[in-house]
Amino acid sequence: MTTSHSLAEQLATAIPAARIATDDDSLQRYGRDWTRYTEPCASAVVFPTSTEEVAALVKLAASEKIALVPSGGRTGLSGGACATQGEVVVSFDRMNRIRDFNPIDRTVTVEAGLITEALQNFATEQGLYFPVDFASRGSSQVGGNVATNAGGIKVLRWGMFRDWVAGIECVTGTGEVLQLNQGLVKNNTGYDLRHLFVGSEGTLGLITAVTLRLTQPPAPLAVMVLAVPELSDIMTVFASVRAALPLTAFEFFSEAAMGHVLARGHVRRPFDGSAPYYVIFEYEHAHNEDEAALTVFEQLLEQGVVVDGVLAQSDSQARDLWRLREDISESITPRTPYKNDIAVKVSQVPAFVAELDALLAEQYPDFEVVWFGHIGDGNLHINILRPEEWEIDRFRVACERVNELVFALLARFNGSMSAEHGVGLLKRDYLHISRSEAEIALMRGIKAVFDPQGILNPGKVLGQ
Amino acid sequence: MKVLVAVKRVVDYNVKVRVKADGSDVDIANVKMSMNPFDEIAVEEAVRLKEAGKAGEIVVVSMGPKQCEETLRTALAMGADRAVHVETDAVLEPLAVAKLLKAVAEEEQAQLIVLGKQAIDDDCNQTGQMLAALMNIGQGTFASKVDLADGSVNVTREIDGGLETVSLKLPAVVTTDLRLNEPRYVKLPNIMAAKKKPLAKKAPADFGVDITPRLTTLKVAEPAKRSAGIKVASAAELVAKLKNEAKVL
Ligand SMILES: Cc1cc2nc3c(=O)[nH]c(=O)nc-3n(C[C@H](O)[C@H](O)[C@H](O)COP(=O)(O)OP(=O)(O)OC[C@H]3O[C@@H](n4cnc5c(N)ncnc54)[C@H](O)[C@@H]3O)c2cc1C
Ligand SMILES: Cc1cc2nc3c(=O)[nH]c(=O)nc-3n(C[C@H](O)[C@H](O)[C@H](O)COP(=O)(O)OP(=O)(O)OC[C@H]3O[C@@H](n4cnc5c(N)ncnc54)[C@H](O)[C@@H]3O)c2cc1C
Repeated sequence: MTTSHSLAEQLATAIPAARIATDDDSLQRYGRDWTRYTEPCASAVVFPTSTEEVAALVKLAASEKIALVPSGGRTGLSGGACATQGEVVVSFDRMNRIRDFNPIDRTVTVEAGLITEALQNFATEQGLYFPVDFASRGSSQVGGNVATNAGGIKVLRWGMFRDWVAGIECVTGTGEVLQLNQGLVKNNTGYDLRHLFVGSEGTLGLITAVTLRLTQPPAPLAVMVLAVPELSDIMTVFASVRAALPLTAFEFFSEAAMGHVLARGHVRRPFDGSAPYYVIFEYEHAHNEDEAALTVFEQLLEQGVVVDGVLAQSDSQARDLWRLREDISESITPRTPYKNDIAVKVSQVPAFVAELDALLAEQYPDFEVVWFGHIGDGNLHINILRPEEWEIDRFRVACERVNELVFALLARFNGSMSAEHGVGLLKRDYLHISRSEAEIALMRGIKAVFDPQGILNPGKVLGQ
Repeated sequence: MKVLVAVKRVVDYNVKVRVKADGSDVDIANVKMSMNPFDEIAVEEAVRLKEAGKAGEIVVVSMGPKQCEETLRTALAMGADRAVHVETDAVLEPLAVAKLLKAVAEEEQAQLIVLGKQAIDDDCNQTGQMLAALMNIGQGTFASKVDLADGSVNVTREIDGGLETVSLKLPAVVTTDLRLNEPRYVKLPNIMAAKKKPLAKKAPADFGVDITPRLTTLKVAEPAKRSAGIKVASAAELVAKLKNEAKVL
């Protein structure tokens, strides 16, 4: 690797020097994402403002063999945007314009650095709706969302980020600019390369702009929280609620998880008493859905699977109830949680959860295990909290040992070891749990085609 | 001691309303409606007074279209005992509402009448004051604390630069401010129980009140869009612009 002085000079042939940072603060800040398991080690951070600059940068990087880490809002949970080996971080912070909105196509083309929430707000201002939504919306970027194929709380109804991508502009590892699909609804002209870029985690190209589909806004949304004593009953509640209501979200969390949110003192407990588990769900309230919801509640109460419940009476209350679920991740961050983001088919959830619960209780008797997740999609976030007195490394080694057992269980259920957070650095060595050898070999082949010099996010997803 | 609480159905606080294309009004089709947040605080306060053994029956009243029933049911689920719905599709101005409230308060012989300090749709901040004047009784507006004693009520008011406490003889009107309390979540079993609580239907004519509007809306328009900021290269340029363009120096 060149020294950072001459590196900066090299980079300045592609990006104006004023938008190249090599100060310690920037290198630290842009050297990592939301995870805290790697030491940031970037040699420079660059802030391009146009696709041309990105293309010039990649051409330079390809000829000089400079490794690049594409960087969005750095809310990623698998270390995908971490620079750990002296790479140059390419931040999209300064590419955040809305290029074009077309009300007839109902599409909007935005630069990769646009904040997710700004996209949602823009859609709302046009009388339309962008439905993919998650707690990091205020910081994550559209480019990062595409690169991770983000999911979130409304997948149940509206699908993943992939389902809304109508076009991608990107720069491959040779510096070539591609316009993929260009906003078309129908385009059966060979391989759909656009979908290769969704979920590629910065390993195939740098995404510079995205065309997204927008949709009709839903009817006003109602939010309910129910108290569920038994983990095994959560899917019973899900089945009843789904049959009766036009659901847009169905999530669960444990009392322990909520406890970390309540400890911050910014929101209130939903009930006077407590229960080991809660579900929060949201449905469209167009006509008489509240009646249907009450009927389901009464039935579940009679069956003894729920013991209490609240219904938000205003959007303000709905937002406060959502915080009980959405603020969990943030609230446990100081405990450097070891995150497992796993999924099985919805039909397999009860059997899987029973085995997992037993396994975790046996393997982690001394650790605090926090359960929550998008259970309506079969997606569980299992967070193991680091005991305050443990060093990070000791804790990680302990968690990785138990991982072997969790993943062996997962493999038996044909599940995914990373449902929506991607592979990045943290889950790279477990890829074989969810993908066959043949699949991994093909992925390597694809990577080599798009990035022959191996300069794009090296060591992520596949390893070198 | 009977408490009367007025509740209004309004566009939810978090909804960004849009002006209708013809500029006649705001568009509220397919928009979330909720209880006026200050009225929610009023109901909560009444329920807390009752739970503390200081108030007896709580009657809630709402004026407006059929859907106000939902708002009244919410108040009943929060803990009110009985509801009165004065049903009308007409546009109601504060004076008409105050007159109707006076009629209901007299019929109910309410000792304490609690309202929100304003409704977040029209932002008039008039109804409570008009009601107190029409009834010729005391008023404690913008309440951040309500202490009920025998035959009187002490109301701490949020005023410019501090707090003021007034003592009112009952019956009296109190209007609520934001810091009075934080309304509870409504439990599902209470929503079910609220369905069985009495809800009486009335019409403005039953009280002989003339509700004809006295104002005409000429036009509804969006606030002017803020123009984008600019970057200046130096302090001197900033001063020049403030002087010559903004003319504030
Ligand atoms: C509190 C919290 C809650 C979360 N909830 C959810 C959730 O519910 N569902 C979910 O799916 N995720 C969730 N996440 C994870 C994260 O927010 C998403 O993965 C998000 O999509 C990452 O976007 P980002 O812009 O922050 O990407 P970054 O973290 O910056 O990057 C993520 C990956 O994308 C690559 N990348 C970024 N920008 C580009 C680009 N322009 N071109 C090419 N590659 C790029 C990076 O190299 C990296 O591999 C949550 C995170 C937090 C902190
Ligand atoms: C009257 C009529 C109406 C039509 N309307 C529509 C329409 O509305 N929308 C539309 O999209 N199409 C339409 N089509 C086109 C056609 O029906 C579709 O493309 C259909 O999907 C082709 O299916 P097939 O089984 O006939 O495939 P074939 O014609 O047999 O093959 C099509 C392609 O698929 C490959 N292929 C076939 N089977 C396999 C396999 N098992 N594995 C791998 N490759 C395979 C073949 O090699 C070939 O490349 C219409 C055709 C007709 C005659």
